[in-house]
Amino acid sequence: MFNTELFFNSIPILASAAVVTFKLFVCCVCLSLMFGTLSVMLQLSNNRCGYWLSRTYVSLMRGTPLLVQLFVVFFGLPLLGIKGQAFLAAALAIGLNSGAYTTEILRAGIQNVPVGHLEAATSIGMSRLRTWTRVVFPQAFTVSLPALTNEFTIVLKSTPLASVVAVTELTYAGVIIQARAFSAIEIFLPIAIGYIAIALSFTQLARWLERRLRDFHT
Amino acid sequence: MELSIIFEYAPMLLQGLQLTIVISIGGIICSLTLGSVLVALSRSGIRALVILVRVYTEIILGIPVLVLLYLIYFVLPEVGIRFAEIPTGLLTLTLYYSPYMAEIIRGAINAIPTGQIEAARTVGMSNFQIAKRIMVPQALGLAIPPLTGICIGLVKDSALLSIISVHEFAYQTKQAVARTFAPFELWAFVALCYWAILSIWEVVMRKVERRVTRYRETG
Repeated sequence: MFNTELFFNSIPILASAAVVTFKLFVCCVCLSLMFGTLSVMLQLSNNRCGYWLSRTYVSLMRGTPLLVQLFVVFFGLPLLGIKGQAFLAAALAIGLNSGAYTTEILRAGIQNVPVGHLEAATSIGMSRLRTWTRVVFPQAFTVSLPALTNEFTIVLKSTPLASVVAVTELTYAGVIIQARAFSAIEIFLPIAIGYIAIALSFTQLARWLERRLRDFHT
Repeated sequence: MELSIIFEYAPMLLQGLQLTIVISIGGIICSLTLGSVLVALSRSGIRALVILVRVYTEIILGIPVLVLLYLIYFVLPEVGIRFAEIPTGLLTLTLYYSPYMAEIIRGAINAIPTGQIEAARTVGMSNFQIAKRIMVPQALGLAIPPLTGICIGLVKDSALLSIISVHEFAYQTKQAVARTFAPFELWAFVALCYWAILSIWEVVMRKVERRVTRYRETG
């Protein structure tokens, strides 16, 4: 039932595909933080137009399936003149999607910073930029970290969707090998265990970071 | 932009939408049921069961839905368990979402102060009465907002079933795209449909929540 030869033969291919998954994950997390920060700044700015733009973005991303968003981006990019960029489309779609959730997380974190701190910073003559980089952001980030970790675990779990636009990441590699070998158990079992292991180690890493930051701030 | 295509293929898409709704409702009912069972098991006090639920939850928290779908669709037939496409999809959604539901239900139940249950017992309420009069009304109000979010996740993930050719909304869209070569228009239209439906659902659930938690206002 369990073909050991197939299992060992597929390990190198799966390993190189796992690297693609990792790259995709890192790109998505960076994009998510970027979109999230931009959108939260729009939302908290006093600009009404920016506020509604950000709210619509969040609602749209939360109200549609990632699969559909991926197809919209994948088929929308050629209309902008960017063709055949499956990896870019996948990273952009997942990043945009996760950015909406990051927006909400960061907003909660920022609103958690007491107004008194802002007033204190202003009264000792800090500029607005400095207030943000020295007072608001470090505190908001520490408070948001557990929620962000959760969100990025979800991002990791979303990366297999890139397989539907033929990015050869871990899951798609599995599908290809499976289709050639007509056997699935030797391939999908290690893949599943791989994802669980990566997710668990990522959560552990984040826990450690959380503890470090908490010690640092108190 | 060829918007006439959307009207032309609307009946076909709507058929898919129907199946999406049916599968989503089925998935929500099944995963709520399994979720409640998981809560009951983890509250049973039997060590083996508690650990089992814990391990199951950890596995699901770490595994992507798509991989779970492939495990059930490709791997289970190899060990002799075979399902048709729609049951495979339902099973995937149920297995994937029940731990999340369980987590929410457990949280809502734990949020009820034990003092209230003890008080109810001292005034002679039966276990059933306590559940009906004290626990459910309060837990419901606490659980509805997060459950709404999880249910939206489930509806959105049901689009993944198009990959194993369940003829739901996204699958029908793919078919229409294959015939018309107008992918962007069709997918954007489908996105708007999902958005509209899920937004309405969210508003409705907020109304329901307000109704269920009316007791908070009078007290």
